[in-house]
Amino acid sequence: METPNQSDQHEPSGGFSTPVGSRRSFFQWVTGGVACIIGLGLAVPLAAYFISPALTRRKKSWVSVGKVKDLPMGTPKSLDYTMRIKDGWMETKAIKAVWAVRQPDNQVTVFSPICPHLGCSFRWNQQDRQFQCPCHGSVYDPKGNVLDGPAPRPLDQLPSKIEDGELKVMY
Amino acid sequence: MASKLYAWFDSRLRLKPIEKTILDEPIPGGASWNYVFGSATLFIFVLQAITGMFLAVYYVPSPDHAYDTVQFIQHEVWFGWFVRGLHHWGASAVMLAIGLHMLQVFFDGAYKPPRELMWMVGVVLFLIMMSFGFTGYLLPWDQNAYWATQVGINMAGTVPIIGDFVVPILRGGEMLGALTISRFFAIHVLILPSILIFGIMLHIFILRRVGPAGPWDEKRAKEGSETFYPRQVYMDAVVMLGIFIALVVLAVTVEFPLADKADPTDNTFMPVPEWYFLFYYQLLKYAHGPFEPLVTWVLPAIFFVGLFLLPFLDRHPERRISRRPVTLGAGFVFLIGMFALLGISLNDLYAVPKTNPSIIRGQELIAKYACKTCHRIHGEGAAIAPDLSFVADRRPEREWHLKHFRDPQSVSPGSFMPKFPLTERELNDLINYLLTLKSGA
Repeated sequence: METPNQSDQHEPSGGFSTPVGSRRSFFQWVTGGVACIIGLGLAVPLAAYFISPALTRRKKSWVSVGKVKDLPMGTPKSLDYTMRIKDGWMETKAIKAVWAVRQPDNQVTVFSPICPHLGCSFRWNQQDRQFQCPCHGSVYDPKGNVLDGPAPRPLDQLPSKIEDGELKVMY
Repeated sequence: MASKLYAWFDSRLRLKPIEKTILDEPIPGGASWNYVFGSATLFIFVLQAITGMFLAVYYVPSPDHAYDTVQFIQHEVWFGWFVRGLHHWGASAVMLAIGLHMLQVFFDGAYKPPRELMWMVGVVLFLIMMSFGFTGYLLPWDQNAYWATQVGINMAGTVPIIGDFVVPILRGGEMLGALTISRFFAIHVLILPSILIFGIMLHIFILRRVGPAGPWDEKRAKEGSETFYPRQVYMDAVVMLGIFIALVVLAVTVEFPLADKADPTDNTFMPVPEWYFLFYYQLLKYAHGPFEPLVTWVLPAIFFVGLFLLPFLDRHPERRISRRPVTLGAGFVFLIGMFALLGISLNDLYAVPKTNPSIIRGQELIAKYACKTCHRIHGEGAAIAPDLSFVADRRPEREWHLKHFRDPQSVSPGSFMPKFPLTERELNDLINYLLTLKSGA
């Protein structure tokens, strides 16, 4: 049976002929080498080009969301604020909301508004004094601890700080 | 391992005969560096297709977003500048490769019977490639793109009878805008590639049916032949690597920043076409009034019809270049004319008289003081302050420039041009340079 590298069995005709032996393998090696160089020279940058947005982190910055003195002690309050979001090549304005709870020591805990279970928006139930998620029934206390339901972990806290009485979050 | 895998597939798909057909095509007279241009063209086209697909990952064809997405690719996507660079320089390279390929076939007489069809399909492929250049040029939606396309479309409008009909179709309505960019995009990335791939297949199919022309010297042709693989493939591969390296070096070292975002209201912008259209751009400058249609469409029409029908215009079977004085002469007249026009155009656009070092120093001062932060010169720089491309037409007096540089507001009240700390010598150099910036008309 013939294998691919036996095609050097061509009958040379006249003065010119198809190269054979080591001359032939030289041409084969160069061709293969060129294919590798061009292939890699393209594949590496193109792969980086394609995955780049997945590996580029969004730049986060501190945003002022309100005055600490406006927050009721111990009762969570939803704070709305607008921020500019870079969405690829676009910049859009988005209205975001976070839950802020002023603790007795005047520190403020800020929760992301997204339920850690499957990403729904949860609500504050003033009567039960609980955060309740309408989607799958996860329930949390004002400190974010899970009381009931399928939630895998407590509510996510956002980095926050207080400067001159202003509450700032990074989201 | 690889050969076992091959054997497995071969036993099922019977690949051997196909491999033989592809690789063992006989090349009369043996492999030659003269035969690399077709493969080189094909290689660059494939490169354009690949980089083009990746550009489409982030590009959005709309006047609202096109410019921003290209900026995003250029500045924020990893290797975005590289991919865009390869595509940009690849467009030039493919034109160059086609040009060389056609010249080789032309001077070699390889378009003669029985290869007329291969030549004619080739001419159509060349036209398709030019359409790629034209439609792709608009897509970044910067000033150059917008105004060059405006000019190109208006030129089509000078063709009698069909002109008025074709222009709104090309534009997709009355004005160059959202509908133009989306149809140019669809033509550039979907319609033309499909046609081109079919055309390339046809071109190669014909090649394989009639075989390569080989040397015109009967004796050499009869000396024998060798197969396409491995030596011709090796030569093609070496040239491809050379092209690839050249394109990478260009993409890495030569910047080609976007001009400002397209502004349909800015009627001061002077679009300058790509180098491969420069000779034609120069020719257009000489065409005024009744002669204009001659250059905008009569000459191109004659040229392309002539090119297409070349195998039937030049029917003598003699391929030897020394025995074909008329064809040879026509070819040289065209080449000399083209390079002369290209030279004049480049000279008009970019060159400064080399004899006067003061002018060269003046040009360097433009970069030193970053004049192009506000002023534009031949399409480069911002359009915040007046365009200086032809400033000497408006302000030919040295005295005015002297006063203006010393105290801009004294001659141009309300101007926000700052006073630069120029020495007397710098002042002199700068004005010498500015006074060379005239249209020459």
